[in-house]
Amino acid sequence: MASRRQAVAAEIPRLRRYARALLGDNWEADDLIQDTLERALARLAQWREGDSPRKWLFSILHNLHVDGLRRKSRRPPHVGLESVGVDQSAPAADAASGRDLDRALQMLSVEQRRVVLLVGLEGLSYAETAEVLDIPVGTVMSRLARGRERLRTLMDYGGGDRDSRAALRRVK
Amino acid sequence: MTGPRRIADAELHAFVDGELGAEEHAEVEALLAAGGLEQALVAELRDLNDAIRARYAGYLGEPVPPAMALPLSRIGRERPGPVRRLLRPAAGLVLLVASAAGGYLARGFVGQPNGPEAAFVITAMGAHTVYVPEVRHPVEVKADEAHLVRWLTKRVGADVRAPVLTGTGWKLMGGRLLPDQEGHPAAQFMYEDATGRRLTLYIRKETGLDNTSFRFAERDGFGAFYWIDRPLAYALTGRLSRDELETLAVLIYGQLEAPAGAKPPPPPGKAQ
Repeated sequence: MASRRQAVAAEIPRLRRYARALLGDNWEADDLIQDTLERALARLAQWREGDSPRKWLFSILHNLHVDGLRRKSRRPPHVGLESVGVDQSAPAADAASGRDLDRALQMLSVEQRRVVLLVGLEGLSYAETAEVLDIPVGTVMSRLARGRERLRTLMDYGGGDRDSRAALRRVK
Repeated sequence: MTGPRRIADAELHAFVDGELGAEEHAEVEALLAAGGLEQALVAELRDLNDAIRARYAGYLGEPVPPAMALPLSRIGRERPGPVRRLLRPAAGLVLLVASAAGGYLARGFVGQPNGPEAAFVITAMGAHTVYVPEVRHPVEVKADEAHLVRWLTKRVGADVRAPVLTGTGWKLMGGRLLPDQEGHPAAQFMYEDATGRRLTLYIRKETGLDNTSFRFAERDGFGAFYWIDRPLAYALTGRLSRDELETLAVLIYGQLEAPAGAKPPPPPGKAQ
């Protein structure tokens, strides 16, 4: 069990990275990671030796995230809290474009964001992503295409070259 | 119409993501090399993935908060019952939810506590702000009086212990008995460092609190870590950085978790 725990611990930085990018809020992300680790520890015995701890942990994280969103949607949102000097920004060389990317990602649907990040950021295969999210591979692919298309628009990729993009779409 | 076959969008994504088999990959590569608008899309998709990875790469190098890794490092101790949660900073600043009462009580908080926990940590932080500025009577019973802990244990109704923090530069000044928000007895230990900063540990029975997680709240420059270690609930408050408080909270948690009666290890550098 000790080695399993170590394997789980080794995944914490990746889990945090994904959760932060997914949620756009470092505290909320750490909250989710804490829940994930807790559940993982409680179910350590269920993790089949030989299975990738990463996939297993991402699945747990995903399920908890879904549960959390469900609960949240049943409660009224609270607004009006004053924010104080807590630095939540990510270390990024190019802060401005980094924030643009943060914002653009948050404008995707959560379903698209998950797929874009699991594949693009975490480097999971389509099959692994499908397993983590418990959806068919075809759904992974369509969400990926739609999510990336929206991101490209939001990030104004090929900004000076709109005609060619329009042409590209027509060609399909 | 003749010419090279069009490459489907999904195929381009799969190509960029390395999802195609060797043969298909080579085919797409050849089609791309032959020119066409797909080249631009492929470049953009690659840029996009690069940008995402670059944006969040820094997170991988960040140290894992000790409280987060702590439960994982406990070799050979399977956790009984519901697993205790450490370091759960409450929901973020943006999407905050709270019960009406919690929301009202917790105005001005960062890492907004809610529900019964809100009342707990707010009372603890209130006790901190009331007693910490006291010059002559910061504590009711001084640390050197042997009955301090015995007395508080008796009154609070559970095994209250005063953590030893001298190794980190904090000296126990003493403690006091005070009412919690419902009129039940609670204990407060106060610590001071060489620069005169003060720290309080507020302790009461956990009755009515059901969240066992390790949480952080902040208001007016004061931070508090609070958690439950049945049968007691703890709140550590001070005008310290979150990191400093967290380190101390983890230390205290570890000390208090040792079986009752076990002496905490002598703190390093204790000169007496």
